Amino acid sequence: MNILEAKKIHKSYGNKFNKQEVLKGLDINIQEGEFMSIMGASGSGKTTLLNVLSSIDKISNGSIIIDGKEISGMKEKKLAEFRKNHLGFIFQEYNLLDTLTVKENILLPLSITKTANNEAAQKFDTVAKELGIYEVKDKYPNEISGGQKQRTSAARAFIHDPSIIFADEPTGALDSKSASDLLNKLSEMNKKRKATIIMVTHDPVAASYCSRVIFIKDGQIYTQLNKGEESRQTFFKDIMKTQGVLGGVQNEH
Amino acid sequence: MSINQLIFRNLKKNLKNYYLYVFALVFSASLYFAFVTLQYDPSMDKAEGSVKGAASIKAASILLVAIVSIFLLYANSIFIKRRSKEIGLFQLIGMTKNRIFRILSVENLILYFCSVFLGIFVGFAASKLIIMILFKITGVQAIATLQFSFQPLIQTLIVFSAIYLFIMLMNYAFIKRQTILSLFRVTSMTEGKVKKVSIFEMIIGIFGIILIIAGYVVSSKLFDGAFSQMTELFIAMVFILASVIIGTYLFYKGSVSFIFNIVRKKKNGYLNINEVLSLSSIMFRMKSNAILLTIITTVSALAIGLLSLSYISYYSAEKMAQSSIPTDFSMTDMKDADTFKEALTDSKIDYDEKVIDVIQVDVNVKEIMETSLEAVNFDPDIMTVPVISDESVQGINLADDETLFSGYSNMMEKIMSLKDSGKIELKGKHEVIPQTYMGLNDDTILSYYFTSGGLPVAIVDQTIFDRLKKDIDPKIQKVSSVNIGIDVKDKAELEKANDIFNKMSFKEEHVNDSQFEMFNNQKKNMGLIMFIVGFLGLTFLVTSGCILYFKQMDESEGEKSNYTILRKLGFTRGDLLRGIQAKQVFNFGIPLVVGLLHSYFAVQSGWFLFGTEVWTPMIIVMVLYTVLYSIFGILSVFHYKKVIKESL
Repeated sequence: MNILEAKKIHKSYGNKFNKQEVLKGLDINIQEGEFMSIMGASGSGKTTLLNVLSSIDKISNGSIIIDGKEISGMKEKKLAEFRKNHLGFIFQEYNLLDTLTVKENILLPLSITKTANNEAAQKFDTVAKELGIYEVKDKYPNEISGGQKQRTSAARAFIHDPSIIFADEPTGALDSKSASDLLNKLSEMNKKRKATIIMVTHDPVAASYCSRVIFIKDGQIYTQLNKGEESRQTFFKDIMKTQGVLGGVQNEH
Repeated sequence: MSINQLIFRNLKKNLKNYYLYVFALVFSASLYFAFVTLQYDPSMDKAEGSVKGAASIKAASILLVAIVSIFLLYANSIFIKRRSKEIGLFQLIGMTKNRIFRILSVENLILYFCSVFLGIFVGFAASKLIIMILFKITGVQAIATLQFSFQPLIQTLIVFSAIYLFIMLMNYAFIKRQTILSLFRVTSMTEGKVKKVSIFEMIIGIFGIILIIAGYVVSSKLFDGAFSQMTELFIAMVFILASVIIGTYLFYKGSVSFIFNIVRKKKNGYLNINEVLSLSSIMFRMKSNAILLTIITTVSALAIGLLSLSYISYYSAEKMAQSSIPTDFSMTDMKDADTFKEALTDSKIDYDEKVIDVIQVDVNVKEIMETSLEAVNFDPDIMTVPVISDESVQGINLADDETLFSGYSNMMEKIMSLKDSGKIELKGKHEVIPQTYMGLNDDTILSYYFTSGGLPVAIVDQTIFDRLKKDIDPKIQKVSSVNIGIDVKDKAELEKANDIFNKMSFKEEHVNDSQFEMFNNQKKNMGLIMFIVGFLGLTFLVTSGCILYFKQMDESEGEKSNYTILRKLGFTRGDLLRGIQAKQVFNFGIPLVVGLLHSYFAVQSGWFLFGTEVWTPMIIVMVLYTVLYSIFGILSVFHYKKVIKESL
């Protein structure tokens, strides 16, 4: 079943006279329980794509349907409502609130939906143990490592069982050990909880953990790769090759 | 882009951001100019009672300068920090520090002096209004005529130029000290690290609350007789001041975060949006602003307290005059009274006359004293009070062993309170007459000349009065032993009668008083003090409100990223705004409530020295202060609204 269907999405910035088209009619379908990544060079529009898919930014044209609901026409209040029930976010810069402890940060999404106290505590215990941050639950973000921060951020994204989790360069600020730790956890969560994860990255290693990789170039889908039954190593090599073809400035003259 | 354009652009941008700064500057410049104009204005002489009008206005203007310069320097230190990035960028593209300093100076010069001139203009326009307010409050009937004169203008310009130079000096020092790198980092450096609440802090927190409560408790006992010696009283006052101020500081340093930490622990990590937004600013930032908040709280407590007290005495001026002089005119010499009565008859003013014989008698009140007051040089065995016969007072008839006291002043009653009944002794020169004390009446019967300023009058039976009269001790008698009260029948003619009274040439040693005159004098003096305290308080209110607002402006910039996160998580703008409102209630409310509490206890401990009515004037002052102060809180919420809107 498609959990997300995006049809012919266009996004442009600027005014009538000075228009910058970033997304030029993209079509994306995402299956429930999929772990997908979007790759592309800087400026290819992958972060914009993630923003419009996650309702943070509005599209200029086209339609996005998540979980059977058309979100492109929704009013701001409705969108916020939608985000709090259906979406989870992991960001490159962790985006944790400095003044809250790890536990308080993770419980934030539940406090918006006004979940009952004991249910919240139970959910927290489960997700924090799965991600291995239960021990640091009473620490402040500046007292824990980058990897722990990102896992906290991930826990916050998973705790309310959203339909889709959007991850924007989640490994961007991590060292390779913490990065592979996080990615292992993410794919574990993906399998265990059947969580749909969409990840933007330009790290081929990170992308190789996914089941599908979409390549974007100049605001359009260039190609996509399916992992299928391949091992992660071979999938990684495929990604590298595609990226090699994709990368660089075309020399037309 | 040329340098001039750059300056102009910056100016335009800053004006939008710092409208409140400009407002505060215009306000203080205009107030200062108005005050200085008043000081040099000849019509001020009319507002003089026993308090010199021009001199007190001058003192007020000096205080005003102190408040304003501290405010301006502080505001500037916030602004320059905000612009450190810009300064770093200028340095990065190769501008020398001196050049940057010149740009900043010119920019500031334009903004600053435009505001000052605008302030002077407004001040001139408003000074007529201000002097009219002053005349209205003090009850002086004069026409407010004001000419523009150069002396106030020059003085205002000199004072504000001096402040400008200080600001420039501060900017210069700031720019000189910084390297490019540190300039880029400065905003993040000023914020303290978020840490756990330590046990030490908890102790500080508890200690702070204990200190404040101790100060309050001592203040409520201040005039209860617990401290009867002058030195003791003085030590107690110093103790109250110290413990409340230090307690306030510790309260901000520890107590606030300590209390919130308890609340937070109870939540077990499950916080709602209001708590999330309030926490950072209250638990962590209040601690680092402890000194600033302590100053703001203490001075606003001082302002509210002084305003309440001066309003109390202004408000009770009439009652005070009535209790000091119970009749319209009160005279102690028969001849003076006769000439005055003649003059009244000549002018066809009807009057009532009441003559009361008064003798001074030593009374032993030891039995009916609530407190022992050996220390204030007071011997309860011999309290010298005026004694009159019950026939001089209508509606009172006493047996020959009964004594009634009447007209005890509020202040004296606080210091030496009396029991409801008991035994007393009236001591003549040779004879001691035991009496039963019947209680205390509220009515004042004799003028303050006889009651020594606030002692009660003892009313006894005619027979006892006669016995005492024969046996008087001449050493304790006053020059006069007769109280002649004259009441004008038609109150509309009172003013005319008063004019006649003032034209009479009585001898100095004869004490003759007019209630009307006393009321007017009281009103004049207290009115002038109230006027000055009021405007100083207003200036302080505006400047401290602005400082809190600027702090919040700074905070909103720092927290913008948090709003982005929260909105991405699905909190709506409305959710966030509600949280911000809750936060501002604390941010502005805590200093306000603490300030109000301080001033409440200060007023409660000593209001009876100033007047007869406490609640109405105090509540009016407090409500007014709260309303004006809240405006700044509301403005800051509007600013946050803008920041939240821009955050996604």
